[in-house]
Amino acid sequence: MGILENKARARLFYKYLSKVYDQINPFIWNEEMRNDSLELFGIEEGDRVLDVGCGTGFATEGLLERTEKVYGLDQSEHQLEKAYEKFGKRDQVRFHRGDAERLPFADDAFDALWSSGSIEYWPNPVDALEEFRRVVKPGGPVLVVGPNYPRSGVFRKLADAIMLFYDEAEADRMFREAGYGEFRHVTMGPDYNPEIAITTIARVPGGADEAPGATAAEIVDAPADASADD
Amino acid sequence: MKEDLMDIICCPLDKHDLELEVIRRDEAEILEGRLVCTECGEEYPIEDGIPNLLPPDMRDEAAA
Repeated sequence: MGILENKARARLFYKYLSKVYDQINPFIWNEEMRNDSLELFGIEEGDRVLDVGCGTGFATEGLLERTEKVYGLDQSEHQLEKAYEKFGKRDQVRFHRGDAERLPFADDAFDALWSSGSIEYWPNPVDALEEFRRVVKPGGPVLVVGPNYPRSGVFRKLADAIMLFYDEAEADRMFREAGYGEFRHVTMGPDYNPEIAITTIARVPGGADEAPGATAAEIVDAPADASADD
Repeated sequence: MKEDLMDIICCPLDKHDLELEVIRRDEAEILEGRLVCTECGEEYPIEDGIPNLLPPDMRDEAAA
């Protein structure tokens, strides 16, 4: 696959990219894409939501319009500083420093989990997706936005050289391996590059409103509080 | 951090409960303190109200 080999180079690349992140980021992840993703996410006021890799707080801002219980987690103090400027350090959002692959939260602590523009940093994305499944209540939504593997052109060359992208097939593999049964992908982007981002909306197994495709037996055999593989 | 955060946080390494040691607080928030794992004993600092729950092997890398 070559993904892990590229990971170290990607980290280095992003380390330098982060200096100009807020200038560059709107070109690939804008307000319209964020709002489309929020529609897919479908949270309600009162839901407790974790924003993994909240960074400077661009998505956090959209989440706050939907619920007041937003928890932000990021590895980088520098990125968080910018989020503090927007929301206050201990005011609208509860901030934490932590690692996506080793979350410091109890099982079923959240109603929903959002992570945009962060998966490309994780050395082991499946580990992080498993952690997301653990900390979200059965039936709750997990939404991940990442860079879609480009089909052609200069971005494809860039993808092959340094950055980490994945396509729908790879996203299928990661989410299945992490234990999700119900998920779908939507590609998004600005007009000039409409498929630059891939958004996956998944549902944590074991909820009351299980996938329509699930058999009655699966639903009966999986009580919400004692899923066999949790 | 607010004290009720204790209801949902845990040690990132072994997922056991944490114990809160307060050094400084105001009415609403714990501003300085430590979160200590009741199982492995690892300590996680609370700095200016923000709990640093990074696993110890990532603290140096992220501090830069």
